[in-house]
Amino acid sequence: MRITSLDFGSLLCYCPRPSSTAMQDAYQVMLAIKQDPFGGDPPILMSERIAKAVQENMSSLPFAYFFQPDTVLVPVPKSSLMLPDTLWVPQRIATALARRGVGSQVDSCLVRVKAVRKAASSRASDRPKPKEHFASLSVQRRISGPPPKEILLVDDMITRGSTLLGAANRLAEAFPGTRIRAFGAMTTISDRADFVALSKPLIGSIQYRPSTEDTIRRP
Amino acid sequence: MKRVVIPARHRSRNQAGKFSRRAIDLWSESTINTPHKRNPMEAQIRTLTPLELLGPLNDVERKYAPSTLFSAGPMEIPLPRPRVAIIGSRKASAKGLNTAAHIASVLSKRGVVVVSGLAEGIDTTAHETAMREGGRTIAVLGTPLNRVYPQKNSHLQQEIMTNHLVISQFPVGYPIQPKNFVMRNRTMALISNASIIVEAGETSGSLHQGWEALRLGRPLFIWKSIASDSSLKWPKEMVRFGAVVLTDPKHVLEVLPSSKEISQIVMQI
Repeated sequence: MRITSLDFGSLLCYCPRPSSTAMQDAYQVMLAIKQDPFGGDPPILMSERIAKAVQENMSSLPFAYFFQPDTVLVPVPKSSLMLPDTLWVPQRIATALARRGVGSQVDSCLVRVKAVRKAASSRASDRPKPKEHFASLSVQRRISGPPPKEILLVDDMITRGSTLLGAANRLAEAFPGTRIRAFGAMTTISDRADFVALSKPLIGSIQYRPSTEDTIRRP
Repeated sequence: MKRVVIPARHRSRNQAGKFSRRAIDLWSESTINTPHKRNPMEAQIRTLTPLELLGPLNDVERKYAPSTLFSAGPMEIPLPRPRVAIIGSRKASAKGLNTAAHIASVLSKRGVVVVSGLAEGIDTTAHETAMREGGRTIAVLGTPLNRVYPQKNSHLQQEIMTNHLVISQFPVGYPIQPKNFVMRNRTMALISNASIIVEAGETSGSLHQGWEALRLGRPLFIWKSIASDSSLKWPKEMVRFGAVVLTDPKHVLEVLPSSKEISQIVMQI
């Protein structure tokens, strides 16, 4: 693994086992992000809403410096293979961000060539590890021109960060010397006591643990 | 059943360019056995857009969405949620039918609207169980609303029209062709927040719905007994594309939107 520590930022959070109305609302937002429906008044797509929140609050977001004018946004593939024209939420969020001038461009160069188990429907011990993600991903199209200075991986959900770390290492192999960081629309808060609110911008890091070959996310 | 020659304007060919036995049977059963007569039900048919029925659709959802839908029944519009399609083989095994009933019962008791296609087998069991449990059901037809297929489900269709909701994308008088059922399956995937395939062979029409659910990014579940059936290729292929093996109907509830309107919640973002 070339990259053993990956900085990430995220906008929202939710608990997988909600116990309060606020947590239940956050859980419903998590489900909605995965479908990218219209919502709100006036109704806009969820991906647009996330991009709008990032753009409008940029000055106060702790991860604002992730979005440099020349940052290339690379959406993270799903854990499964994808049919043509399939809803690909990270790609839609990345596109919505770039459309608002948050990041320079979207490059969907990272492709899943072999399906891995869904983390959401696997036990913690069975979730794919970074090396499995790395082996199942491929950089299929080089970004035109010189290698980008900055790449920001864009995902919808961040749980332990195994997907992001596998993806970052695959990109680092293709673009040595490029700074790679990650942005997720939402992070999972496993301990309900740590849940404050749906909207909780945070910055942290995903660390590789060689002894267990998995990751730990802080916070 | 009478054998008939399909009029040229109604013909559709399968991939081999031949008229399938099912195509002929479909056309003849629906048309010969139930000649089109204007009845009072037709006056109750509502014409709707997908926007009116489901709310605004994103571009992926719009791709195969019909421009117009027709409905009959007292269920509120836009549709209540959550909605789950329970689908599968017309010639289902006894075990498959029991499974369909179990899933429909669990979901109905928790307020989920059961969606299915009014076909024999799994579909019929899903509709009947939902109603027996005091739940709600939606039938999505591959025929216009004034036709019935299969004919033996005439009473079931009438009961759903009277107390629940029947939907079709085909206007009265639209020719009945096998391809309509493929289109119907896509529409059923669009209408449903999640789909469950209970039992299906390699050529089942339910697979069209499964693939469309995956394309839409909607949860697709495959019941455990067919997922582990080594004689079937499609379950493994669908799992590679994101389908989930279902071992307990309650797991479906974890991925369903609540009945609560999300518009107010997202304003917090």
